[in-house]
Amino acid sequence: MADDADQQQTSNTVEEPLDLIRLSLDERIYVKMRNDRELRGRLHAYDQHLNMILGDVEETATTTEIDEETYEEIYKSTKRNIPMLFVGGDGVVLVAPPLRVG
Amino acid sequence: MSLGKQTPSGFLNQITGGPVRVKLNSRVDYQGVLACLVGYMNIALEQTEEYVSRQLENKHRIIAERGPTFLFITTKHF
Repeated sequence: MADDADQQQTSNTVEEPLDLIRLSLDERIYVKMRNDRELRGRLHAYDQHLNMILGDVEETATTTEIDEETYEEIYKSTKRNIPMLFVGGDGVVLVAPPLRVG
Repeated sequence: MSLGKQTPSGFLNQITGGPVRVKLNSRVDYQGVLACLVGYMNIALEQTEEYVSRQLENKHRIIAERGPTFLFITTKHF
């Protein structure tokens, strides 16, 4: 894997980061967004700005609260489900295949 | 590694294919192998580990998007 020749651009080699996204069309993906949000959904469409159309989406928003007495950080996640969603590329931080547990 | 006279794009071409560490504006760190890097600084990383203060996830492939998202890209690891 480390020695994949740059010279041979086969269909397995990633030419551009956007190619990786193209390979994920119609697959489930994981998107990390700004403001501590994460999306998991099926990628229907995207463009060079990383605007995306996602279907069957689960959004996880994580907030941190500080307990006033113990000064501990409490992480809270809120989830919601959205059947069809347009994501503005502005807020996208990264796109990846969904995380495999274990 | 002697730098000599280099442009940023020359440096970026040089590190492609090797291990890098990318820090985002949002205090998250990624270490992985830089698969490619294109004009708007969109990058693709392979075998990436995500660090906030400790190791969180292992992702086989990530696309990290956009210059404005990065603080820096370095070849130096933890």
